[in-house]
Amino acid sequence: MSATDLTSAAEGHGTGSSVGTTDLIDVEATDFMPDDSVAGAAADLPAADVAVRAQQLTKRYGNLLAVNQLDLVVPRGSVFGLIGPNGAGKSTTFAMMASLLRPTSGRIIVMGADPSKKPRTVRRRMGYMPDNLGVYDNLRVDEYIEFFAASYGIHRSEWTALVDGLLELVDLSVKRSAMVNSLSRGMKQRLSLARALVHDPELLILDEPASGLDPRARVELRELLKTLNGMGKTIVISSHILAELEEMCTDIAIMEAGKLLAAGPPREILERLGGARTVKVRFATGISETFTVADDAEQAALLRRLLVDEGRDVVEFVEHSGGLEQLFMTITEGVVQ
Amino acid sequence: MINPVLGREIRERMRTGRAFVVLGVFLSLLILTVYLVYQGTGSTGEIQVDLARQTRLGRDLYEWVLFVMLALVLFFVPGLTAGAIAGERERQTLLPLQVTLLRPSSILVGKVLAAMSFLVLLLVASLPVMMVAYLLGGIRVLDGLKGLGIVLLVAALLTVMVASLSSLAKRVQTATLMAYGFTALLILIGPLLYFTMRVADGSKGNDLENPPAVLLVINPIAIVADATAGSGSARQSDGGNVLRWSREQLVEAKSYNGESWFAWFPDDDSGAQFRVINGRREGFPAWALGTIALSLLAAVLSYFAVRRLRTPAEVER
Ligand SMILES: Nc1ncnc2c1ncn2[C@@H]1O[C@H](COP(=O)(O)OP(=O)(O)O)[C@@H](O)[C@H]1O
Ligand SMILES: [Mg+2]
Repeated sequence: MSATDLTSAAEGHGTGSSVGTTDLIDVEATDFMPDDSVAGAAADLPAADVAVRAQQLTKRYGNLLAVNQLDLVVPRGSVFGLIGPNGAGKSTTFAMMASLLRPTSGRIIVMGADPSKKPRTVRRRMGYMPDNLGVYDNLRVDEYIEFFAASYGIHRSEWTALVDGLLELVDLSVKRSAMVNSLSRGMKQRLSLARALVHDPELLILDEPASGLDPRARVELRELLKTLNGMGKTIVISSHILAELEEMCTDIAIMEAGKLLAAGPPREILERLGGARTVKVRFATGISETFTVADDAEQAALLRRLLVDEGRDVVEFVEHSGGLEQLFMTITEGVVQ
Repeated sequence: MINPVLGREIRERMRTGRAFVVLGVFLSLLILTVYLVYQGTGSTGEIQVDLARQTRLGRDLYEWVLFVMLALVLFFVPGLTAGAIAGERERQTLLPLQVTLLRPSSILVGKVLAAMSFLVLLLVASLPVMMVAYLLGGIRVLDGLKGLGIVLLVAALLTVMVASLSSLAKRVQTATLMAYGFTALLILIGPLLYFTMRVADGSKGNDLENPPAVLLVINPIAIVADATAGSGSARQSDGGNVLRWSREQLVEAKSYNGESWFAWFPDDDSGAQFRVINGRREGFPAWALGTIALSLLAAVLSYFAVRRLRTPAEVER
């Protein structure tokens, strides 16, 4: 499949849920879906268009399969969301991407190189933000960034301009001389992001960057990520809350207990895996009721039953697609590690 | 370019008061030592100048200041250095560092240099205290510098070892315990082994089969004691300084070893560190042997530390 096919496919999904036939897949079936189907259409992208490709990626801790034969393709220029409940293996996957952890088996290629064999090649082109915010106690914001600039081998003469630019980007210019540990959580998060951007990487790997942020800080972070994506950076981001990523990501992957459950553009996944649909009905009496239907046929049957069989006065009949959130709940439910 | 970790550490250290507190404690204890030694030499309050007494006082001061300095180093180095890498782990600042282009060895070197620069500051600051001994006339300037130099050398080796150990721990508390345990072991294991073996030998009534005296030499205190053996004061065996005692033990151990290969031991307590055979200096000074042994140990530990810091790793952290 070519890039143009992808675009037209994405446009198709944009027109609404009426396009195509939505076949319902039950929860058990997702576990047995063939790999290419799970990995989504991006699986056969040419290498130059791929930021990260994982093939049968596995990490084992003793008896625990933290990551289990994961197939993943992150298209270049995408905002790729990895979603899964706590313990799903997201951080482990990211650590393998970020050249910190060696896979037990399988393969991962990040920006064209294998992080196990050429970690420095990967590190030059990748910025990583771990899930916890470690900051130094007695360092100023500008010194913090300068330290990482030095650690990336950036020459001293470039530091001032670099610090200016990055602080401007993450909106921390006023905090330039503040102590790092005096910053709020949201600010620390943005500072960490600035740190990950010090060497102007093409790929950003952000492990649950929004966790613990208040709603405002979340919105700011999202805006910032959009800006970065607009600058051409590929962003891989994880969360255990789908709503955080749903509207921002061009591609998502859902994993649980180390396994990939679904992957692809959000609309496509929704289309493919369906999910329960609800219909909200308001009656003339002023009472509203919500009904759950599986597909169009059931929805039509419901309408017929209400109007014809029961003869009730329906004022409003609104289809309510459950969205990814509900899909996520449906497909991750019951899989216990 | 200066090591980034070193640069950052120095900034952080200078900003906290802790460095200055340690410096203050260090100097206070040294000055207290001078005072106590001065009192201890039986001042009668006479104004009369007694050159002999003054010289002896100078030597005693030198010995004691050196010993207290060494004791403080042995006490402070584990405490101040144990957090080097474990602290990064505990604060969760290590991963961001490991994904940079910084090499694991640079991280370790930066940590060691940062700790060392502080030690140099400590020891240089205590130079004036050492000068008191010089002014009293017991020692030469060279003796003072030699003493400081060897304490610094021992401190450097201990710093490398403790910083390396630090990379094996996840928490500063664990690392600190490990560091003090290791330092205690380093000081005690040689003498303990040696004297146990000697007592065991003695009970068999077999004096010729003596335990290897080299056991005594792989020891920070013995190294300093031996390296400063030529500094005069060793001649007097009064005054219960550990350094003096160490020297005596080294000499005794050597005499028990007879004509064995431990030829590098001081021939007498005035500090001849080479045997003179047919007018030629033979052998190897004990302090150098000890230093080499500790250097090897430090090298082995830092090898494992660098391995531990290398990524991608099998297990994270
Ligand atoms: N170093 C480790 N040793 C043993 N088990 C680990 C280790 N790191 C992670 N795990 C386990 O691997 C699983 C996946 O963890 P993680 O990747 O952190 O999940 P997530 O980031 O999705 O919450 C969890 O069950 C976790 O307990
Ligand atoms: Mg995680």
